[in-house]
Amino acid sequence: MRRGWLFVTTLERPSTDLVDRVVERLRGVLRPDQILTSKTDRYNRARVPAPFPVHRWRERVPDLAVLPETTEEVAAVVSIANELRCPVVPRDGGTGLTDGAVPLHGGIVVDVKRMNRIHELDLENRTVTVGTGINMLKLNEQLAKHGLIYPDDPASYPCSLVGGRIGTSGWSLIGSRYGHTRDLVLSFDFVLPTGEILHVGDGAGGKISKSSSGYQLKHLFMGHQGTLGIATKATLKLYPKPEAELSPFWAFDDYDAAYRFTGALARAGVATFAGAVLFDEYKVAYLRRDDEAYIPQPADVRALTCAVLYGWEDEVRVGGKRLFRIAKEHGARYLGDEISEGDWAARHDRYATPLHGRTKAGQVVPMSWHCEDAAVNYTDVPAVTKAWHEIVADLRRKTDVFDDWGMFAYTSADTGVDYLTEIDVGIWEQRLDDAAWAMWVKAKRDIAAAALAHGGSISACHGSCREGEVDLVPRELGRGFDVMLGVKRMLDPNNIMNPGKYLLDLAYQGDVSAQLAELRGPS
Amino acid sequence: MSYRYSAENTPPTPERASEVAITTHEHVYEVDPRLMELHVLQQTFPNWDTLRIMHARHDHLAWMHTHFAEKTVTGSELIAEIEDSR
Amino acid sequence: MTQTEPDMRPDALQKPFTPGAPSNDPELESYPETVSGPVPLELTDRRTAEFVEEWRNASYNCYSSGHKFCREVCPVMQVTRNESWTPTAFHANVVAMEKGELEIADIAEDYVNCTQCGACELRCPNTLFTGDFYKFRTRTVDVVKAVRALAVESGVHQPNWQTWNERTNDRTHEPVLGETEISQENVRNWAEGLDIPIGGDTVLFVDCEAAFYRTAVPRAVAQILQKAGYEFGLMGEQWCCGGPAAEMGYVDQAKRFARHNLDNWRSTGTKRLLVLDPHDYISFTEDYPKYFGAEFDIEVVLVVEVLADLLAQGKLTPTVPVDRTITYHDPCRLNKRKGIWEEPRQILRAIPGLTFHDVDRVTQWSYCSGGGGGLPVEKPELTAAISEKRLGHAAELGVDTLVSACPWSERPLSEAGDAKDIDVIDIHELFAESLGITVGGSRGTVGDKRCGGGGCGGGGCS
Ligand SMILES: Cc1cc2nc3c(=O)[nH]c(=O)nc-3n(C[C@H](O)[C@H](O)[C@H](O)COP(=O)(O)OP(=O)(O)OC[C@H]3O[C@@H](n4cnc5c(N)ncnc54)[C@H](O)[C@@H]3O)c2cc1C
Ligand code: SF4
Repeated sequence: MRRGWLFVTTLERPSTDLVDRVVERLRGVLRPDQILTSKTDRYNRARVPAPFPVHRWRERVPDLAVLPETTEEVAAVVSIANELRCPVVPRDGGTGLTDGAVPLHGGIVVDVKRMNRIHELDLENRTVTVGTGINMLKLNEQLAKHGLIYPDDPASYPCSLVGGRIGTSGWSLIGSRYGHTRDLVLSFDFVLPTGEILHVGDGAGGKISKSSSGYQLKHLFMGHQGTLGIATKATLKLYPKPEAELSPFWAFDDYDAAYRFTGALARAGVATFAGAVLFDEYKVAYLRRDDEAYIPQPADVRALTCAVLYGWEDEVRVGGKRLFRIAKEHGARYLGDEISEGDWAARHDRYATPLHGRTKAGQVVPMSWHCEDAAVNYTDVPAVTKAWHEIVADLRRKTDVFDDWGMFAYTSADTGVDYLTEIDVGIWEQRLDDAAWAMWVKAKRDIAAAALAHGGSISACHGSCREGEVDLVPRELGRGFDVMLGVKRMLDPNNIMNPGKYLLDLAYQGDVSAQLAELRGPS
Repeated sequence: MSYRYSAENTPPTPERASEVAITTHEHVYEVDPRLMELHVLQQTFPNWDTLRIMHARHDHLAWMHTHFAEKTVTGSELIAEIEDSR
Repeated sequence: MTQTEPDMRPDALQKPFTPGAPSNDPELESYPETVSGPVPLELTDRRTAEFVEEWRNASYNCYSSGHKFCREVCPVMQVTRNESWTPTAFHANVVAMEKGELEIADIAEDYVNCTQCGACELRCPNTLFTGDFYKFRTRTVDVVKAVRALAVESGVHQPNWQTWNERTNDRTHEPVLGETEISQENVRNWAEGLDIPIGGDTVLFVDCEAAFYRTAVPRAVAQILQKAGYEFGLMGEQWCCGGPAAEMGYVDQAKRFARHNLDNWRSTGTKRLLVLDPHDYISFTEDYPKYFGAEFDIEVVLVVEVLADLLAQGKLTPTVPVDRTITYHDPCRLNKRKGIWEEPRQILRAIPGLTFHDVDRVTQWSYCSGGGGGLPVEKPELTAAISEKRLGHAAELGVDTLVSACPWSERPLSEAGDAKDIDVIDIHELFAESLGITVGGSRGTVGDKRCGGGGCGGGGCS
């Protein structure tokens, strides 16, 4: 196994003198209650849910945080930061799992949660324009009054916010029907690292879903983990709130049967099909720890598939019947209405509960949930699944700090071409010392490498800028990574925007071909 | 409907539900207490709290369905329709 | 085929298993542990060390999730959008104290920003989905109370809370603002003319706000119970329940008050406590049991539940139509913290003449008046903003009246309602009116503009 390449960062933390000057200048553009400098203000904007050694918390503490309320305020803050060369870290819900909103070099956290207004609801064109600090569940409570829905439904639906969805180019549980964040966000106002304001969409449009004019910049300004700037106001595509939902769960004797069935469902071409999820045998064994639906299941329930359909009731019934006929051909055992409905409705809540954690002998321990995800083609899902469990089993052979919570594979598209493949790993953060952290970083790298070895992408969902996986990004993207460096250098000449992420510091180090070659390894 | 210390702190007799879980109140599973003796200890849990959480969960799940769609179509209805049409 | 890795040296970790099952491969218990874990820090401050020892696991249970499902239901968060004042932060700070990164003086002031409504801990998946399974749930309210207590013990006071609790101590009741002078002599003034005995098997406990300010509420309750032939008395010497002091961190005072009340019930042979205020209901069913354990053998009964029961039994039949369009405000301490939401709706549905636009209990997990947890004492502007938001939800329904069941919510809600021409009345007041009772007493300074013949007293009700 190659050693990971440690790169030297170009930016140090700002000096106290610089921080004082920044605060002084910010007072000219923000009210005092929008500038936060206390210890708790800063410590609580240094974290995201992904586990990290608690004894290293202070490394990530920003120097201050600001709570802007308008695009202009964001632009003013960024201009000052750019002028004074102070790092800026965009932060929205703080639920990201690849450390995007975590400051690596101190600086200013620009927390956009106050920008959560609904600016315009256009019932004719079916769009809504919102501040990027708004949460989808809260937005949908308002839209329901008009019979509409904004169907971006990550498992973090109750807590992630529109700006973070843009910053990560997020993945939605019902994306096979409605598309993912990139499809649902039509356009947005965006503050560049220089403080200039840009409107990004398809063409120049605010409410255009398809344009062929010029470069397609919208994709570029999504999923960059806040390294290219800050989205402040977004126009979103709306759908009729579904009349009906169907979410059957089926059981199988083994993984292979569930895998074949999942593929058949996804390929069936049912228009109301919003997604299918494959639960592997590790996942089912794990659910038997504490899940009321699976504790009483007979031993031959070893793997599961669920599907979900949304739409008008008549459409859902017809499509549903087609899936049930496929189920019959595959010998799928329907788990009943109660489990099917209850488990789907619990889709957001069942991931990150610390007490899911166990030592190998069975004692309950509080563990952080870490979701390692990749985008993998259907045909490669079994091989990746096998490789990932082996990586985690190896960790468990050494220590009880790590636990295998099983795997899901979710359809990403309506054709079943690729799957968000996810292994849930429990990590006992209270015991996470430097040695255990090093084990984990290596395991993350191995997990990412396995996805690449099977033709996949390191992440379908969260992004890939965490320690461990990030070293493999130049390998995954090839020449594309060099383009990334060029874009970064051009848009952020002073490297103030979320510095240290995605190895983008390399953009400021002259000729880095040797480093890149080493990172990419032998082809 | 009323609170009494002694009643609240006397849970129903547990029954084994699986190798790692028991049941106490109707519809409530609990961890086999022998698994929480070392690293995390169980909290004092009056009966009302257990029942409050269980009911709230069911209400929340029902709410989540109506949040995303006006109604749910059940699998059993569809299976019955498929059988009937044979 | 079963999912195994046949090409590997066979071992117990090669296949799926559920840890802790007696039938598991015994090899699972035999792997040597190679990680020693970080060296724990010795905290020099004794109080902090004890505090951290008691609360670290509770807080760690959130810290290690940190997903903020609680954020959007938090009333303070909704009006401030400041992440430093979220449940997540309240737990994380405790972990930071354990690691020596923060001290009580750094964090105390942040903990003012909480109404102890319980929304966060209920919405938290660690409560809602696994709290009952593990008998281990998120305890944000307890953690907030404990941090406030640590602050007080460490001499870090919030000025208004300190004064408030000193006054409560002097007067044996909370210094609620109003026309009645707060003193032991006046605590039963609200009951004037109602001819209620002292002591007995069952006593009605009336919270400070209702006894001294919103007196129409206890008057309504007492008269409804009398109408149903339900026997009860008043306490011999009622002191404040001590709940607010406990909420603000003045624990010794809270315990002293609780001791007094328990002794007083004993002296009058009281076995059952009727409680009309949700905050008191929490004190008696959560704080007192913690203070006294099994010694606390008093039965505690919530008035709304008694009334719903009397209604179901046909002992009370509302007949006077009340011509109002209402919605119901689920008091946090009933709906979120106790799961009581059905009975008030049963009562409201029985009142003739009402048009009732109900909002379900789950949606209301994110509603609050802002009146709890001492917030209005220290940060009245936040309480007002939270109440204003709540009234905004009511206004969208086109109602003229917001019905609550919690006297402490009614003052800030009424003030916010005044601006929107929405009356805020108490469910007991409304029920009494429909039972043909002339309630009397005061509905507060803002009052009730649409008050019918019921005799609402107070300002604005001519
Ligand atoms: C329980 C749980 C389940 C999850 N399930 C899913 C899932 O199903 N699908 C999925 O996609 N993700 C999932 N996630 C991950 C996370 O919720 C998403 O990555 C989400 O998009 C992050 O949004 P946020 O508002 O929390 O952003 P943050 O964490 O605050 O930020 C994420 C990134 O975006 C940047 N950013 C923030 N705001 C802006 C802005 N205004 N403009 C530009 N950049 C910005 C940040 O700098 C950071 O790099 C889950 C997380 C949790 C905890
Ligand atoms: S209190 Fe619960 S919901 Fe909120 S961050 Fe902590 S674990 Fe998550």
